Amino acid sequence: MRNPLLAKFALRTLGRNPRRTLMSIIGVGVGCSIVLYMTAFTRGGNEMRIRGISESGFGHARIAPATWDKTRDSDLRLEDWERDLDIANGMAGVKFTAPHSRTTALLAFGTRVAGVEMLGVDPSSEKNISRLIRVLSEGRYLEREDEGAVVIGTAIAERLEVELDDDLFITIAGAGGEMKYAMLRIIGIISTGSRTIDSTICHVTLAEMERLTEYPGAGEITIVFNDPSYIDALTIRLGELLEGPDPAISWKVVVPSQGGDMGSDTVFMNILVGVVIVVAVLGVASAQLTAILERKREFAVLIALGMKGGQIVRLILIEAVAMGVLGGAAGLVIGLPFIYPAATKGYNFADMMGGDFVAEGVLFDPIVYADMGMWLIPLAFAVALFSTLVAGLYPAWYALRTNPTSALSLREA
Amino acid sequence: MNTNLVDVRGVTKDFDNGKITVNALRGLDLAIHEGDFLAIVGPSGSGKTTLLNLIGALDIPTSGDVHLFGHDLTAMSRKRRAGLRLTSLGFVFQAYNLIPVLTALENVKFVLELQGVDGGRHERAMSTLEDLSLGELANRRPNEMSGGQQQRVAVARAIVSRPRLVLADEPTANLDSENSEALLIMMRELRDEHGMTFVFSTHDPLVMAHATRVVTLLDGRVVSDEVKNAGEAAGGAN
Repeated sequence: MRNPLLAKFALRTLGRNPRRTLMSIIGVGVGCSIVLYMTAFTRGGNEMRIRGISESGFGHARIAPATWDKTRDSDLRLEDWERDLDIANGMAGVKFTAPHSRTTALLAFGTRVAGVEMLGVDPSSEKNISRLIRVLSEGRYLEREDEGAVVIGTAIAERLEVELDDDLFITIAGAGGEMKYAMLRIIGIISTGSRTIDSTICHVTLAEMERLTEYPGAGEITIVFNDPSYIDALTIRLGELLEGPDPAISWKVVVPSQGGDMGSDTVFMNILVGVVIVVAVLGVASAQLTAILERKREFAVLIALGMKGGQIVRLILIEAVAMGVLGGAAGLVIGLPFIYPAATKGYNFADMMGGDFVAEGVLFDPIVYADMGMWLIPLAFAVALFSTLVAGLYPAWYALRTNPTSALSLREA
Repeated sequence: MNTNLVDVRGVTKDFDNGKITVNALRGLDLAIHEGDFLAIVGPSGSGKTTLLNLIGALDIPTSGDVHLFGHDLTAMSRKRRAGLRLTSLGFVFQAYNLIPVLTALENVKFVLELQGVDGGRHERAMSTLEDLSLGELANRRPNEMSGGQQQRVAVARAIVSRPRLVLADEPTANLDSENSEALLIMMRELRDEHGMTFVFSTHDPLVMAHATRVVTLLDGRVVSDEVKNAGEAAGGAN
């Protein structure tokens, strides 16, 4: 080290007023722990949101027809869905894929009717991406070879007053606008626990959908990635690989209100983090400035001896770095006892929110877990170091302005 | 050609606190020669400390010129003056002003570190301490030493880089007569052995007795400049 004594000088200075140093470290540590807790909780909430969206059948991304994002027309179909499916399945980072097709249908039983968006699925791949179909209350889920079969939600079944093996009368607008009619037998009834979700479930096989509508193929391919952290990058990569007219879009486009909510949650959290850091910075800056004022004669002497401005700034910033390292460690010690139970037991928002945790067809888990991982360690030290370094800037500037003539005069000290 | 170490010509220094202006120096002239053991004396408010600040490149005059080792201080930037202080000047302060968290040895080494001396810092600092009979106190912090010992360490810090000029502000003010005498003898030996120049601001008759030259200030002007014969200065070489 070129300036070992400068570092020693700075570090030992922290021990001059141990109580003040300790209070500053605790102050940084408390601020740091609040930032860690809020970040862990927000990250956990975002993960829960993405997981809920994905497991509700929306996936992390989707290959959709070019105009779908603007029109949201459920009758649109992909140009070459089998090619798109092969490309998606062959891409690194893709965990599951599931082709879908949709159309608007009117279900009738006797005099009772219900309007739904019917979903055509590949039953074997659907089981991988949707948890909704795993909660059958009666019957079974679709198989690929099923013909004339439909699976509906309990809310629809109750509304139409139908049971397993009843035949529903289906009316849809097929290709060319021609009305199509069919009878489908109920082979399964799904009960997710949410009436909102259960009133939207109406699944048939892709082949059945093709027969009913005469629209060929699939209207979308839902993608689930291995690591949700890289959704945006992987979606862009998939879009590049497709090279066709049909783009890859992330869940934020598919369910825009959820993307907006997550964005606003993150902004709100960042504002809170900023406020906490500003408070911590002001507290540490105040303590640092007091320390500099007490050492005014010392700085005058150092400047008189010929110490350069850069060396004085370095001296104060080394003190700040040391305080930041200790503050970061304190932040972890203070924060982890709060983050750990939030990560393992979670917070149940069911009572607070009441009833379903549903939005835009997405069924969310009411228990939100904080995200606890090794990332907390670098974040703790980054927040603490940033706070103490910023807090050290004004005291350093103040020290630089010390008049060296006061070193020679006891009166001016 | 200017052979003086320090040349102060027609210097004035005013301090303005917004309400009143204090004329600390009023057209002062002074030349300091290599090897001087010079005491600047005078009553409080006569301008001693202000003059020392100017000679030490800590401040610049309101008017007039101060030349230090041939450099015009009024034309130098703050940074260059800091560099000049670091390489060519030593300071001894009335209140010792050692860095309290560093040991005696570290206080002395610190100046070498600031100067960017890469090798042999420890040896040079230790040797300087031993020259001043402070070897046994090398690892003590200032609060573990007496006032006299601290002032000797301050001298060691001032001379470790062998500056041409050492400025001492009331160096004996906090010492008893025995320690004062020992300190002044030590400084005289340093001057004799290393050819350093010492300038003191003082009220202490003992310092005046040891000085080879006594400059008296009154109201910001030099009123007398007495050069003693070698034999006249206490402890001087006969």
